[in-house]
Amino acid sequence: MSAAICSHPIAFETLVAYWAGDLSSEDEDAVELHVMGCARCTASSERVAAIALSVRALIPPLIAHDQVAKLRARGVRIEENAMVPGERKAVVFRRDVDVLLHRLGGLDLANASDVSVTIRDEDTGDIMHADLSAPFDAATGEVLIACQHHFEAFPHNVLIEVRAMASTGESKLAKYMIPHTFEFAALVP
Amino acid sequence: MEMARFFFAAWPTHSAPDGAGTAAWYLLFTTAMLEPQTDGQLVRRIASSSDGAASARDAECELCRRFAPRIRLYGLRHLGDADRARDLIQSVLLVLLEAVRAGRVEQPERLDRFVLGTCRNVASHVRRTDARARPVEAEELDVRWLAPDAERIETVALLHCIAELEARARAVVHMSFNEERSADEISVLLGTTPGNVRVLRHRAIAQLRSCLDGAGKHSKSAPKEQV
Repeated sequence: MSAAICSHPIAFETLVAYWAGDLSSEDEDAVELHVMGCARCTASSERVAAIALSVRALIPPLIAHDQVAKLRARGVRIEENAMVPGERKAVVFRRDVDVLLHRLGGLDLANASDVSVTIRDEDTGDIMHADLSAPFDAATGEVLIACQHHFEAFPHNVLIEVRAMASTGESKLAKYMIPHTFEFAALVP
Repeated sequence: MEMARFFFAAWPTHSAPDGAGTAAWYLLFTTAMLEPQTDGQLVRRIASSSDGAASARDAECELCRRFAPRIRLYGLRHLGDADRARDLIQSVLLVLLEAVRAGRVEQPERLDRFVLGTCRNVASHVRRTDARARPVEAEELDVRWLAPDAERIETVALLHCIAELEARARAVVHMSFNEERSADEISVLLGTTPGNVRVLRHRAIAQLRSCLDGAGKHSKSAPKEQV
């Protein structure tokens, strides 16, 4: 089949499900056998794979506490920055660090049902990231932000708003101001 | 292994000052000179030739060029690592060439089955022993020319494109690829049907693909199914 034109290309939806690991073993076998004999579907699968693998490699900006240990186990170099509500603290993202972990603490999350986080450019107020259901740790009263090298492309003066919502409908807002300096920025042409 | 060494030593990679480039041109040249042939025709040409015949080398070249990207995809999917996928290409192609030369491929027209079976065996061994496949020396089988590096996606561009997804689609992408949840699990979390999750997922990937292809210019356009 290799040199022939594919008369039954695999559906895009099926390729996405394949790369999401969401096909039955029979369907997965069928996809793999077809792709192994088909140049056209190989090319289509490569285009889906590029997205799937890139998304998988991303560390989300808001992470759960158990993910920190997993990142360390993978060899990710993490420097921590603990903050309390209302604090303004300038930080330097050093070049020998992979993740600058902002521990946004001092929150009363004991009765929180949901926590929303909005990350803004402090200078313009523009929203850079918003998560209506952010991971949080009720016991420590913390929300974790995993600042990464490529965030250097975004505005450096950051205002983070954390709103904790209780099941009663009551909500509390905490703000953290973090101007960033990226030590490696000068290396980028 | 000796035969593989012989074949790849015939590539003019080491004799020229710009060995790497020469190998690439040689590959392109031999590929262009070959009429499109089925896998079976290539296998029979190799098996019936005497050692070192130029036509057999061309056919081997074409088989390697044809299967290398497919083996890499298998490796990326099951070994989850570009280095291991590259090693898998080397290991599987060497097994393939030795089998073809020795006339051990029973169904030449179903060479894809043979290659897939070899991929499964080697990948299974790698997973079982938690080791990389045993790559040969680069000069013996340099996969860079057979399967150039996979597409690199700029992280910043990807983040911009993800930010343009609807919140629900973004959640589905995150849960599918970062948390590795099935459509069934996601449907429970989002209060919808598994079918709807699958639709959201493939439309989101199509939109990301379109966004990245257009460097963000067309990210607002309707997602296309065929991307």
